[in-house]
Amino acid sequence: MISRPDQDGDQQLRLLGDAWDKAAEHWRDGPARQFGDGQLTPLLQESRTYLEALRKLMDTLEAADRETEG
Amino acid sequence: MTGIHADIDALKGLHQALVRYRHAQRDVTARGQDQLTATRASLEARASRLRAQLELGQAEYTACQDRAAQADPDDPVDCSGYARAVEQNSGRFEQIRLWQQRVDAEASEFSGIAGRFAGLLENDLPRMEEHLVAIIASLEAARRVQPAAS
Repeated sequence: MISRPDQDGDQQLRLLGDAWDKAAEHWRDGPARQFGDGQLTPLLQESRTYLEALRKLMDTLEAADRETEG
Repeated sequence: MTGIHADIDALKGLHQALVRYRHAQRDVTARGQDQLTATRASLEARASRLRAQLELGQAEYTACQDRAAQADPDDPVDCSGYARAVEQNSGRFEQIRLWQQRVDAEASEFSGIAGRFAGLLENDLPRMEEHLVAIIASLEAARRVQPAAS
């Protein structure tokens, strides 16, 4: 079965979050905080917004396909 | 060596993760768009097929009604089967049209969010990667670490 793009996107988001957590264990100076708060957090938030919208759209496309079959 | 430069190694790992993330999410956005295109095409094909069936059924029903109007009252023509077929196809056609409208409305709403995310992947993320590369280079220079050949 082919996975849905929104689910794959969620998986990628988790991997990036894990990579950041790992990096943050060793990188804790001022630039690290600036990078985390100023760049990475907005990226993760925007990604979540996109993936939630994609999930909703994919649900609708699946329902449209299912409900108009035959 | 690894322990001393653990922050540099961690930053390199984060940089690689960001690059992978950019490529993977580009693929996700493309597949989402492909799915939207495919569903729209499928709905349009179903609507087109039903439209043709509806027109044919309507013509058959009209012809039956003409025959019924001219038929001997003692031998009436029954057109109820044609009427049911027209009604059923009409209902299914309307359902497809409603789904087409719903998909269009949600796709329109989605496009703004997708546009912002695409811009982030194309512009912001490469800048973040460059920023990290600069930080790594700065740390390596400060510690006189020889950068690994790429």
